[in-house]
Amino acid sequence: MNDIGTHLLLFGIVGVAIVVLGAIFSEPEDREAIGSLRKRLVWFFAGCTAVALVMLVIEHTVASVS
Amino acid sequence: MNWVQGKQVEQAGAPNLAAVLTWFVPGAGHLYLGRPLVALVAFAIVQGLYFVGLRLTEGMAFEFLQPDLRGGPYVVALSPEAGNLGALVWHIRQYGFGPGFPREWPPHIHLGTWLTAASGFANACVMLMAHTEARLPKRDASRALRPTLMVFAGWLVPGLGHFLQKRRLRAAVVFVLLVGLVVLGSVLAQGSNLDRERHYYYWGGQFLAGLPAMALEFVHGHARVAGEIPYAEAGLMIGCVGGLLNVLALIDVYGFDENRLLANAPAARGAEPLATDAAS
Repeated sequence: MNDIGTHLLLFGIVGVAIVVLGAIFSEPEDREAIGSLRKRLVWFFAGCTAVALVMLVIEHTVASVS
Repeated sequence: MNWVQGKQVEQAGAPNLAAVLTWFVPGAGHLYLGRPLVALVAFAIVQGLYFVGLRLTEGMAFEFLQPDLRGGPYVVALSPEAGNLGALVWHIRQYGFGPGFPREWPPHIHLGTWLTAASGFANACVMLMAHTEARLPKRDASRALRPTLMVFAGWLVPGLGHFLQKRRLRAAVVFVLLVGLVVLGSVLAQGSNLDRERHYYYWGGQFLAGLPAMALEFVHGHARVAGEIPYAEAGLMIGCVGGLLNVLALIDVYGFDENRLLANAPAARGAEPLATDAAS
């Protein structure tokens, strides 16, 4: 099993890239894009955390293979 | 200038029809728009790329697909070549997926697949140009070239389109993030991600990062994998995401020039007002 810390770091790097490109795509002005970054990052990583939690719950309940 | 309230000027043609015609036959959209010389040049460049690529690959590019994926013509729909639909269909009908047993690859097959894939992207740019031209008055048709070139530049080197538009901050951010992701992915996967034979569909994602991905592939790709690579799959995914995110950057590049182009153009029939113009 690879180190989960490394996986989280890599996910964080990809997540930041996705959010920044999303901001560039959505906001025509640089200042607005930068200003919206914090909120976007929080929403993105909070959403990903929620999905991960749901998957963990399902993995240990209805989809458990042990 | 609020160009919606401006003088009504006949646009050159139906934008969607021009784009679809180009998709099937490069240049056909421009022919429809009454621009035969541009049509000829577009056809020569796009089909020339495909033809040279086809010669180098000897038509074997789709034999990269694993045997269980060779079910029909739709499995190549996610290939970059799909941007040049006419050539792709002809390719499949002419060569298919090979004889069904492994054969030795031609020496320059990887360069060849880059060229056929680049032909698909180049035709997507020609479609974009035809669509833009169709929305402009005929006398302004040549101005549609600039946004198209910006998009192509942004594909060649992520961030170059923004740089040429003098949006230096965005250019730097896009370049660092996207090229950084492709490099990081390649380091993690030890170059095993940079091979269309090994990862047919992921390669299509990395292809969208343009020349940096190509350079990495020709320097570090196609290596024989002798042992376990701990982060091979993470690297593969990260490199692919780096290329795919360039699509967002390219849309931003196109939108910037399109806004400037249409904001300075007289009203075109059926066109929507720009948000910035409507506010002014």
